[in-house]
Amino acid sequence: MIRRLAIIAAIAASTLSPCAVPFGPALAEDAAHFPILVPITGFIAIEGTAQRNGAIQALENAPEGVKVTYEVSDTSTSPEVAVTALTRALERGKPVAAAASIFGTQMLAMAPVAQRAGLPLITVSGTAKLTELGNPYIFRFFPGDAVVKVAHARYAVEMLGAKRPALLYQTTAYGQSGRAELARILEGLGAPLVFEEALAPSVKDMLPALTKLQASNPDVILLHLHSGPTALAIRQAREAGIDLPVVAGSAMHQPTTAKLLQPSQLKGVCAESASSPISESDPKLTAFTKEFRTRFHTEPDAFALAQHDGINMVLAALKDGAKNAEDVRNWLAGHTFEGLAMTYKSDGKGNMAHDALIICYDGNSLVPAVAKRYHNVDGVL
Amino acid sequence: MGDAVPQLLVNGIALGSAYALIALGFVLVINAVGAVNFAQGDLVMAGGFVAVIAGEALTGRLGGGSAWTGVLVLPLTMLAMAGFGLLFSLLAYVPLRRRPPVSVFISTIAVGLIIQHAANAGFGPEPRIGPALIQADALRLGPIALSVQQIAVIGAAGLLIGLTGLLLTRTQLGRYLRAAAQDPEIAEALGIHGARCIAVTFALAVALAGAAGMLLSNHFFVAPADGGLFMLKAYIAVTLGGWGRLDGAALAALLIGVFEVVTAAYLSYVVAEALLYAALLLVLLVRPSGLLGETIQRRT
Repeated sequence: MIRRLAIIAAIAASTLSPCAVPFGPALAEDAAHFPILVPITGFIAIEGTAQRNGAIQALENAPEGVKVTYEVSDTSTSPEVAVTALTRALERGKPVAAAASIFGTQMLAMAPVAQRAGLPLITVSGTAKLTELGNPYIFRFFPGDAVVKVAHARYAVEMLGAKRPALLYQTTAYGQSGRAELARILEGLGAPLVFEEALAPSVKDMLPALTKLQASNPDVILLHLHSGPTALAIRQAREAGIDLPVVAGSAMHQPTTAKLLQPSQLKGVCAESASSPISESDPKLTAFTKEFRTRFHTEPDAFALAQHDGINMVLAALKDGAKNAEDVRNWLAGHTFEGLAMTYKSDGKGNMAHDALIICYDGNSLVPAVAKRYHNVDGVL
Repeated sequence: MGDAVPQLLVNGIALGSAYALIALGFVLVINAVGAVNFAQGDLVMAGGFVAVIAGEALTGRLGGGSAWTGVLVLPLTMLAMAGFGLLFSLLAYVPLRRRPPVSVFISTIAVGLIIQHAANAGFGPEPRIGPALIQADALRLGPIALSVQQIAVIGAAGLLIGLTGLLLTRTQLGRYLRAAAQDPEIAEALGIHGARCIAVTFALAVALAGAAGMLLSNHFFVAPADGGLFMLKAYIAVTLGGWGRLDGAALAALLIGVFEVVTAAYLSYVVAEALLYAALLLVLLVRPSGLLGETIQRRT
């Protein structure tokens, strides 16, 4: 009976969870193969799902003459699952590149495996350390903390006039990396943090942190949290009567995050991001957004667009004659690519994105407007 | 900080009250079948999503904006989850009832994972917001602001805990349930249908989990991955309170909620978590039967 139940459970789980069985078009000998190794369950599933959707949209629109196959594997939230998914993808064939997790903790675990296998990882993870490992197979298409945190801090100080910023950040690798960059940049701008606290992604009641934050008498709240915690922090701050301006991390630009809040709660809320597809009027971007909505029945965000651009750059390499993973790596490292969100070029470490922007909500709508663009922040282009 | 203390206490008690509902359902199943229901956290999450659906449906029918939508959603959620509890017992317990308890707790892990993945497939990974129990602005007493929603959560949880206590101690059904849990063979010999009692226990436990899910879903949102957190807190509450003790579990859950919020406010979340686990270790070392003592000796 136990065996029968186990079989039923396994079938049900494999039907419902891509973690158990990859899905996508069947592998073909003459096609370039792309594993998509992203977290589509767990606390970072929103971002991972956006990655998956962006990658799929790019692959489904591969340029003429480039044949591709792909498979999606859920990396969930643990490094072990991510490494297993990558190892399995490598055993199943000879991929030319992989779309890899936004979750920095998983990327740090996958990076050495990819390096040994010679497989380029196309990621949107912001964790700064990722491109400081000397690993030539990491290509980051979302601006790293060294870029977006400059925009984050500069907007708070230069545009909002903040002198006493307070920060809530996540205990994850993502959170600690962003916290280190923000603290360093703010110090340089003459506005050091007056309060900071790390929150685990599981923290639900943020009033204790907000109470201490308020007691430190800040003039702006900086958030560097994942999607759900960002919405919780803003909502609970507004309910507690804390009406300070908020400059949040990129999670706040996501339509799914904004949907959890009332427009009035978003008054005075801004966020850094690489892009904001729903805020743009450029015809190419609106076409991307329209197709994305039709295909996935949800709004695209900057992570989806960055992953889409990253995969498109790999497809451009294939179109240009790259035959295998090593060719693709070399092409990515040596070429400049005009994506939908921005121009991408490696800084020699795999950082491909160098622009950032700040979006702000007006308190009447859940669609933000672009408030300021920061081009070529690190001077690579 | 001073003005925020009352709201911090209210938040702590509200969180602890929700934990208490989860822990009660947890203990009911332990007492009934001698095995831990590791899906309890995922059932709380499922209750949250049922509340989201019921809230949206009722808002449509009531024309939207009704301050009392949540009051209707709570019993509807509990009813739906009670039905799901019966199905859950059929899937996770009945086929394995003659096996060692370890088989049951493994099957509950499997069903919990299926619930989580089903929620992810059905609703997507993003958090959703459930209906407020009562829609009202904060209660202002001078500089002190108290969330009416949180006070309502405490009231509702207290009422449900009280009713569960009355059901188990003052009704014939409660006596049957306790008899079947204490000694299934003797209970069967006395004409009590053990399997039915266990099914009713699962229904009650899952209904309480659903209530907790509904009460938490507005203030804290609900997402498919939330189950693990609730499961952990319920497990700690049951261990601290005394394995198998309903009153112990409720008391410990309440203490955990207040302890977490107050310690985080005066120290930090990291310290609060570390101290909670240190307290758990201390209780296991000094008083392994829990604060109020164990009522059953079987642990799985």
